Amino acid sequence: MTAAVLFQSILASLPEIVVITGACILLILGQLVPKGQEHFLVWASVAVVLMAASGTLMLAGEVRSAYSGMFIADRFAVFFKVVFYLATVLTFLLSQRYAEIEGIGRSEYYVLLLLALSGMMIMASATDLLSIYVGLELMVLCTYVLTGFLRQQQRSNEAALKYVILGGVSTGIFLYGVSLVYGLTGTTQLDKMATAVTGNPLDPGLLLAVVFIVAGLVFKVGAVPFHMWVPDVYEGAPTTITAFMSVGPKAAGFAVILRVFLNPLVAASNVWVIVAVIAAVTMALGSFVALVQDNFKRLLAYSSIAHAGFAMFGVAAGGADGVASVMLYLLIYAFMNLGIFGIVIMMRNGDFSGEVIEHYAGFAKSHSGLALLMLLYLFSLAGIPPTAGFFAKFYVLVALVERGFVMLAVIAVLLSAVAAYFYIRIVMVIYMREPEGAFVPALTPSVGATLALTAAGTIGIGLFPAWFLRLAQHAAIGG
Amino acid sequence: MAMPLLSLIVFTPAVGATALMFVRNDDVVRWTALGVTALDFALCIAMLGGFDTSTHEMQFTETHQWVPALGITYALGIDGISAPFVFLTALLGWICVLASWVAIDRKVKEFMVSLLAMQALMLGVFCALDLFLFYVFWEAMLIPMYVIIGVWGGDGRVYAAFKFFLYTLAGSLMFLIGVIVLYFHGGETFDIRTLMAQHLPFQVQSWLFFAFLIAFAVKVPMVPVHTWLPDAHVQAPTAGSIILAAVLLKMGAYGFLRFSLPMLPEATVHYSTLMLVLSAVAIVYGGLLALAQDDLKKLVAYSSISHMGLVTLGIFTLNLRGLEGGILQMFNHGVTTGALFLSVGLIYERTHTRSIADYGGLMKAAPVYTAFLALFALSSMALPGTSSFVGELLVLSGAFAANLAVGAAAVLGALLGAAYLLGMYRKVALGPASIGVRFKIRDVNAREMAAILPLAVFVVWIGLYPKPFLEIIDASVKHLLAQVHGKGDAQ
Repeated sequence: MTAAVLFQSILASLPEIVVITGACILLILGQLVPKGQEHFLVWASVAVVLMAASGTLMLAGEVRSAYSGMFIADRFAVFFKVVFYLATVLTFLLSQRYAEIEGIGRSEYYVLLLLALSGMMIMASATDLLSIYVGLELMVLCTYVLTGFLRQQQRSNEAALKYVILGGVSTGIFLYGVSLVYGLTGTTQLDKMATAVTGNPLDPGLLLAVVFIVAGLVFKVGAVPFHMWVPDVYEGAPTTITAFMSVGPKAAGFAVILRVFLNPLVAASNVWVIVAVIAAVTMALGSFVALVQDNFKRLLAYSSIAHAGFAMFGVAAGGADGVASVMLYLLIYAFMNLGIFGIVIMMRNGDFSGEVIEHYAGFAKSHSGLALLMLLYLFSLAGIPPTAGFFAKFYVLVALVERGFVMLAVIAVLLSAVAAYFYIRIVMVIYMREPEGAFVPALTPSVGATLALTAAGTIGIGLFPAWFLRLAQHAAIGG
Repeated sequence: MAMPLLSLIVFTPAVGATALMFVRNDDVVRWTALGVTALDFALCIAMLGGFDTSTHEMQFTETHQWVPALGITYALGIDGISAPFVFLTALLGWICVLASWVAIDRKVKEFMVSLLAMQALMLGVFCALDLFLFYVFWEAMLIPMYVIIGVWGGDGRVYAAFKFFLYTLAGSLMFLIGVIVLYFHGGETFDIRTLMAQHLPFQVQSWLFFAFLIAFAVKVPMVPVHTWLPDAHVQAPTAGSIILAAVLLKMGAYGFLRFSLPMLPEATVHYSTLMLVLSAVAIVYGGLLALAQDDLKKLVAYSSISHMGLVTLGIFTLNLRGLEGGILQMFNHGVTTGALFLSVGLIYERTHTRSIADYGGLMKAAPVYTAFLALFALSSMALPGTSSFVGELLVLSGAFAANLAVGAAAVLGALLGAAYLLGMYRKVALGPASIGVRFKIRDVNAREMAAILPLAVFVVWIGLYPKPFLEIIDASVKHLLAQVHGKGDAQ
């Protein structure tokens, strides 16, 4: 490898390098930070992410392939990285006070989040099954630890253990699929796989390999039948980590799914049938089971399963609009979901867990502004215009109908009508019940900033979707 | 285009709602809401002043790019079919504010914000010339209406609000799929005028007709998807009931007129008998149910189902008299039923009971009120000289021209209407003065008079001299008929 090629590779992966270096420095600095000064770590972490973000945006002008075709910095990756940066920065802002209350504000917390971010970034840029694997593992290993960060709590430990075991199995399945692909085609690079196959693309061996890879990836986005970990992990993990996981790693999983599934080889194997079935079942399960949840975090876990199902419909649709619709969906979901999690995190104060839906009774009476924000996020999650959540769903439906999958579109909207029920049930609790106790939300300026930003995104993209839509469409074509 | 008048009309209430969020004093909130809705009404009068009744073309049009990548535009405009409903919505805006002046005594600010938001969205629905924009207005209405019913409603409000929300949402979502299918078949545009000019294959038209039917039938509501209506009406606060009856129900019928008839003409003609039968069933069934009610609001709610059946009957006769009668009847029903709900609300504020059995002899205690009640009840049963008579006569003559049996059912509905409305009036207003003694009922005061009098004026005006109203809709209805019967452009 000559110096020039190496330089090109480093340039292409500069944001990743910035994040990993920053994480290492913070790990050391974290030991030197005196007690009570932990908020320094928050701002330092945010600064690292912002540096990486500016690097990404500066290098977004052209497509750079690096590390002998294992890594690419294209517009597709840039779009996803922006979603990751957004999710991570907002998680840092939300964590500041929450970490203090829960007593988890040590440097490792922030370092692990940064490392998870770098894993996600590698996933978005990976063009080889092995580099995908490296990014994936880097990300999930960090989230395993973060899930169990509430060391004193049994359910946090239980969640982490479940997550590790199930995650390990799914990674094994994924690797097995990769090994089959390598055995059949002699390569693990996505774009070389298609040319390596000269025979029937519906070769049973290859189909088996694809199914294994699909299974491994579907686990990460929490789709049926590999969703069992989601409710327990989401409930047990610190709420900030739940918020992060429901947006960042899920988007990273979809980034990989899109790259892999849109590969000509995989596209030829009629895999969309599997994806369509997974999408419908995932959405049905998420929507129906969420109806009976009393715990806010569990409800949001099932809601995130349902949303993963809806985004899967976009994958099933395929084509440029299908890809763009998934990307736009994930961006919008990041705003509205971090918004609603921001409220739940803020409610964790003193003895108040903020996790039981019934505890929010009459919230609108004492905090009308915050209740209005909740109303906004919830109606957006339900997909009611003029919020962004509606446009996200609308665009997926457009992609489905464009490809002739009208029946899938009908299934998708019917299930989203079911899903609407549990969102508006929360609206009912906060608006139509009498308050039982006083609320003292931990509303710090950084939480306030998060809520303002997510609200602006939720309503702004809803009213003026044109620019974001173009962004997603360009990024989809660029990928 | 000098002044975007329609945008002003649509967004004045929205701006008012935003401004209200920062007001603390309840009285200031009430007066501001009244001022905003009155201003909106004035703008609407100005719009009607410049309305050209000789053309069927869209007027006061505005078009701006919104999401160019998907062919979505921000396009507003009105023709003879939408103009009456823009006017009706603007008129009822300030009447609703007056009706909630003392009835809403808690969370006044939130109520008025919801009411104004609702107002803006309803006006948007009638003005939208882009299907996507239409859908956004149409669906966004669920949010304020859900809150209005659920927060300020009666004892069973939560159940009613859920039922209203889920019914309408499920219907609307099928409409959304229809809209997207129409988008791809109609040349990737959401522009209503362009889509009207397209000719779709019959197969596609049929599918779309039923997708649209689900959404519109829920809103109208037609039997058998009407069951949300009695719950929502009974539980909603007075202003909510007025909005529901007077404007929301019209949107379903408006949807047929704006989309099903002109865009899917062959399917409309093909399935018109089915629609006529469904309408006739609604007329008779709604009337029979109304006959059996003891709750004043429920009675008016079921009478709405019957009367809206008459409207859809008129529309699907697909002849000039039926259509004009149907549209006029939509307007009349808005005024009359709005007024009836207002009347029920006024008396409920005094007695806190809606059970007909509790009333009696109201005429002695509140003669002015009772006179208004009599006028609206008579109008609702289409007595000659009141507005509904004109509309109902047109619909009936259109119905007999289209289908004898259906016409007979409509007449039966009219008879039932006389039975339950006169029965209600007799029990409430006449007889021994039981209720006046118990509650010391006072008659209507100046504020209530200001709310109820304009409605009475319209009832009598249209009843005696309907010509100006029919003139507004005439050109557009003729053009619509030409579109349906495939005679090309009528001009």
